[in-house]
Amino acid sequence: MSAELLIYPALFVAIFFESFVLVTFLSAPARRRRAGAPAGGNALPTVAVIVPCYNEETTLARTATSVLALDYPADKLSLILVNDGSTDGTREVMEQFRNHPHVAIIHKENGGKYTALNAGIRATDAEIVGCLDADSFVEPSALRHIIPCFEAGVAAVTAAMSVHEPKNILELMQYAEYLFGIAQRHTLASINGLYVTPGPSSFYRRAIVMAVGGFRTGHQVEDMEMALRLQRHGYTIENAPRARVYTTAPATLRRLFLQRIRWISGFLRNVLFDYRDLVFSPAKGALGMLVLPIGLFSLSASVIVFGTIVFATSADIAQAIALREGIPLAYAYLPASFAFDWFYFPTTFFMLLVLVTIAAWVSLAVLGKQISRTPGGLARGLISFLLFYGLLAPLWIARASVDIVLHKTRSWR
Amino acid sequence: MSLVTRNVLIALGITILIVGTIALSIDYLGKQRIEELAAIESQIAIDTLSLETQFLLLVSAPCESATSTSLASELANLGDRLAYAEQELGSDNREVIELKKRYTLLEIRDYLAAKQLAATCGQKDVTVLYFYSNAGDCDNCDRAGYALSYLRDTYPDLRVYSFDYHLALGALETLIAVTKVKNGLPSFVVNGKTSYGFESLEELMTRFPKGTLSTSTPL
Repeated sequence: MSAELLIYPALFVAIFFESFVLVTFLSAPARRRRAGAPAGGNALPTVAVIVPCYNEETTLARTATSVLALDYPADKLSLILVNDGSTDGTREVMEQFRNHPHVAIIHKENGGKYTALNAGIRATDAEIVGCLDADSFVEPSALRHIIPCFEAGVAAVTAAMSVHEPKNILELMQYAEYLFGIAQRHTLASINGLYVTPGPSSFYRRAIVMAVGGFRTGHQVEDMEMALRLQRHGYTIENAPRARVYTTAPATLRRLFLQRIRWISGFLRNVLFDYRDLVFSPAKGALGMLVLPIGLFSLSASVIVFGTIVFATSADIAQAIALREGIPLAYAYLPASFAFDWFYFPTTFFMLLVLVTIAAWVSLAVLGKQISRTPGGLARGLISFLLFYGLLAPLWIARASVDIVLHKTRSWR
Repeated sequence: MSLVTRNVLIALGITILIVGTIALSIDYLGKQRIEELAAIESQIAIDTLSLETQFLLLVSAPCESATSTSLASELANLGDRLAYAEQELGSDNREVIELKKRYTLLEIRDYLAAKQLAATCGQKDVTVLYFYSNAGDCDNCDRAGYALSYLRDTYPDLRVYSFDYHLALGALETLIAVTKVKNGLPSFVVNGKTSYGFESLEELMTRFPKGTLSTSTPL
């Protein structure tokens, strides 16, 4: 089988899906959501923000402070800090907030993030519960943008997540990726196509979460499992693109790989095993017929395409080196002229398809930045993403796939 | 029709439009390349005819007036572009084959003109006839071709003519018969002396008349 037979269908699907997202972005439901105003006045539901913590001594104080600084009536907002058996100084940091009138603190034995979330949910009677990771920070206006999204039938609302102060190449790469995610999540929410309510910051109707049984381990992606369960029960998941939340992105390759392997293997385990009935389910609309099937296809395609390109490129390089064997290096490896000659410009079908795919992706990242009004420069993030993401992502996808085959579960950190 | 179905159809239409536009663009650029090659060939055909006419006019005149060095570099440039077009469009592309035949004819005519020039004026250019194959029956042809390109670019007095051994062209078949080259590719005819195979650049250089390459002025 030639490489083209594997690569071209993948690129076709990629362009199709990006076109679909762009068209849906311009459609009336998405436009209406972007035009929505933040909630005003004091006639607002009660909200409890739960922060599950396991060894988060370095970031917890800032996270808690950002919640307490939310622009929301103080008597309707509470913060629940849940210490999930931390072994560092998390307990001491939490205790600094003990005397705050709207803060509740729970210390429990380590049982995993989902147990901490359930402990927090059981400890409140607020109408809305927010789940915020202890390494994430909310903008003061975030809750005012989230609350209006809770219309009838809406069980959860996701926020616009971006990377907090990206510095190194990996963080910059993720900064661009998260901006793309903002546009995509906003668009897919307009057709109820979301399959994850991201852990760093999502809000739920407490009664619905209780009714469907609370959080489960969900193959280490409790946020994805909860979203799929809500979808199975026929609820709607919304998105508030102007509710800005900043999360701390993994700054090292090891941590990034651990996080992504957990995400990918969790997605595959949930979708292939526990929620297989949603895939190709006409009753689930865009989620069942489009988002989940294309998600599965793109994961397998990216590994196959990457493998094919690496194999073909390695063969080309080996051939080019063999061709130049014995020829003086200055002639063999330095260009004879730097003048541009269009005749030799490699205008291949593959290259142009890739350029279109990249252009559509960049457009969505720019749109994500615009609709969320996320601060920071995008150029360095885009360059980092375009240079490295395509090389790294197939590796963690492949590794996650191997883990599933071997029934291997990795630690969180 | 639901919003999702409508958007799926629109996205599908956009995707087909994009893929179709890319396919048409590739086809257009391929044709542009062919047209450029044809234009270069036409110019070289005129130059070759001009050189031959110069010969007829200058039979009794000083040899310094007749030179085909610039023509050789134009031929080399055309050869490089033709090789690239063949790689991009495929060696079975009808237009590429046509251009290749015309290019081969130009090479043979230039070779003959240069040979006559050398005989008449006593020039001591080194001429290499290089026979290769793209049919998969020549393992070392790519390496040999690259080594010859290096020698041609480095030593301007070296005249290299490359011929596809399997090209169905009467004049080429006659040249093969005249030079008595057998199907043991790659093969080289250096100043009339035939040799076969390719091992390395160093080994190839030993097949040239002693002192020929070293006394040339490298570029």
